[in-house]
Amino acid sequence: MSGQRILVAMSGGVDSSVAAALLVQQGYDVVGATMKTFCYSGEEAHSKTCCGLDGIADARRVSDALGIPHYVFDVEEDFTRDVIDDFVSEYARGRTPNPCVRCNSNTKFQDLMERGRVLGCDGIASGHYVRIDRSNVATPALHRGIDASKDQSYFLWGLPTEMLPLLHFPLGDLTKIQVREQARALGLVTADKPESQEICFVPTGDYRDLLEKRLIKQHPALEPGLIVSSTGAVLGEHTGYANFTVGQRKGLGGGFGQPLYVIEIRADSREVVVGTAEEGASGGAEIGEVNWLTTPPPEASPIQVQIRYRAAAVPATVQSTDGRVVLAFEEAQRAVTPGQSAVFFQGERVLGGGRIERALVSRTLDEEVGRASMLQPG
Amino acid sequence: MMVHREHMSSIYLDHAATTPVRPEAREGMLAILDGEFGNPSSAHGWGRRAAARLEEARERVARAIGADPGEIYFVRGGTESDNVAILGHAEAVRRKGTTPFAAVSAIEHKAVLSAAAEVGERGGRGCTIPVYADGTLDMDALDTALADGASIVSAMTVNNEVGIHLPIEAIVERTHAHDAVFHTDAVQALGKVPVNVGDAPVDLLSLTGHKIYGATGTGVLFVRRGVDVAPLIFGGGQERELRPGTEDVAGAVGMAIAVELAVQEQESEADRIRGLRDLLQARLEDGIEGLRVHGDVPNRAPHILNVGIPDADPEALLAGLDLEGIAASAGSACDSGAHKASHVLEALYGPLNGVAVLRFSPGRSTSESDVIRAAEATLTVLERVRGVEVRG
Repeated sequence: MSGQRILVAMSGGVDSSVAAALLVQQGYDVVGATMKTFCYSGEEAHSKTCCGLDGIADARRVSDALGIPHYVFDVEEDFTRDVIDDFVSEYARGRTPNPCVRCNSNTKFQDLMERGRVLGCDGIASGHYVRIDRSNVATPALHRGIDASKDQSYFLWGLPTEMLPLLHFPLGDLTKIQVREQARALGLVTADKPESQEICFVPTGDYRDLLEKRLIKQHPALEPGLIVSSTGAVLGEHTGYANFTVGQRKGLGGGFGQPLYVIEIRADSREVVVGTAEEGASGGAEIGEVNWLTTPPPEASPIQVQIRYRAAAVPATVQSTDGRVVLAFEEAQRAVTPGQSAVFFQGERVLGGGRIERALVSRTLDEEVGRASMLQPG
Repeated sequence: MMVHREHMSSIYLDHAATTPVRPEAREGMLAILDGEFGNPSSAHGWGRRAAARLEEARERVARAIGADPGEIYFVRGGTESDNVAILGHAEAVRRKGTTPFAAVSAIEHKAVLSAAAEVGERGGRGCTIPVYADGTLDMDALDTALADGASIVSAMTVNNEVGIHLPIEAIVERTHAHDAVFHTDAVQALGKVPVNVGDAPVDLLSLTGHKIYGATGTGVLFVRRGVDVAPLIFGGGQERELRPGTEDVAGAVGMAIAVELAVQEQESEADRIRGLRDLLQARLEDGIEGLRVHGDVPNRAPHILNVGIPDADPEALLAGLDLEGIAASAGSACDSGAHKASHVLEALYGPLNGVAVLRFSPGRSTSESDVIRAAEATLTVLERVRGVEVRG
């Protein structure tokens, strides 16, 4: 490994700082890179208000302390197209996007890879809490990080398979507590930086402003509509379906007699459909934009699937892998949210993943499976 | 303790960004910092000696560029010198009851462009005069601006990004025919081309120390006697009230030595550096298909080579060169480290459309083997760039 040159993505946070430091300790020839992804005041002349600049300054200080070169790469154009535009159009369609998944799959790692090649690098690294299992040298596997509370495998199912052999995740075997301890022991300036919880381009946590800025005026997603029950009874009004996520309970107002959840968003009629927990449960899901990090499993294979970042993986059966994937959950799942990622696991190993296209109730699931098998070639 | 692993870039080809302080200037400065310190305004011996060193420095700068000592003002760098010239003159014009109007070339440094824009912001006017790719200023546009009441014209002697050496004498003549004042930013010119206010009757001229092996934060503004410039900051009346604040005597001494030596060595050093630049250009032209050379006009200063490489990523190219031990730049230094389109290249050639720009600027320490290695490294990195698919 000594002499191998690794390009490490440094956001200026504690995780990527420690990742870089560990690679230096392991004897790699480490090169730091910060991807400048966006700029709030893109339309204004003064670039100093870019929020990314603090992160860039911290990444530079850490790189200097580690004695490694550091470069800034402007990927704003790619990021806007692949992540922000997608984020906005998903909400416009009544879905709930995972921008971090899009960024990792489409922007960050691919852009790093291109730069890495120009810089003569042998590998790419980041501070994600995941592991690469190289026990099978020919086909490295992506695994969950050791620290279950920090595991970020949910965000990485979209990586191109051919990239896996080149990836290094030095934090995968560590807990967050150990990472902070390392950072303090090394005296890194980023050791006590708070966690970033929000979406990087929505620092206030309120994405509605962004939608208002980027959608056409009076876009249906931000116009008032009806809150209806699953039987069509009008229960109230809302100020735009883009404010809602399937599974959400907050913000519906009370007084319905029993807890109600958003169970569907109908963009066409601007209706937000609410129902009981039972009504919101789905027996399966249709998954699109599927990416496999391994050979796709045969039909009827038992796997585990994780349908939200903070959820546990649940047993499911792969009913069809013909382009899209139809999953049948062993137990009905609440809040199967279109736009969110469904990530496929076998134990700790990430098999792949995709975007939830729609939830399937048990009845439609049978039909779907029937139709899907009819469509199976030969 | 962590070990510093990053090796310094071994070949520095970015002298147009900044230069190391030369030993003569450093020794002159240290003599003040270590021993003859003092406030030139003080009445005691320390003050008198400091004042004497300051005035000696002023005389040395004046002699080197053909000025009177009374026309030399020490300021704190090139940007400040440009700002005092343009905004200070505009203020003097305003106090006389007329509207200031700054007409500046389109390829000026941001210090001049922004100062001219600020003249407009403060109730006056500002405009830019086009410069053609052949290195000439649009004289008709200049005449129009002058006829329209331009009070000051500013055109840099040598451009910092591409090295174009503007025809200053002709521009001064036109400007004076309309009784307007002429300023030139000669920051990149001194030591590379002849700079003498006796030969070219400019009214205002800006210099900085750190491009000529003096210290950063030192600069000079030449103000021809009889030209009105109002101060931008106010205080104790130093520098004949144009630039108040306790004088940086050490800086002035270092600046004076750097100016003197730059002028003395100009002819021989320009020939040597032109040879190196031309060698580098030839090597790159041989090795890179479709290479564009920006500013390749007969009146190009000797120390700048600006090339455009089609279909390459400028950031990755510069980073790749850095890792190969070659320090170059993408045209001009920038605050965030991220790449921005150059207003100079756009003014000269229009939009660049995927052309990566590299600027190499050899200097006193540069040898022939340095530029040969730089050419080889560029080709090595470029080979890798070319292997990379450009994502659309």
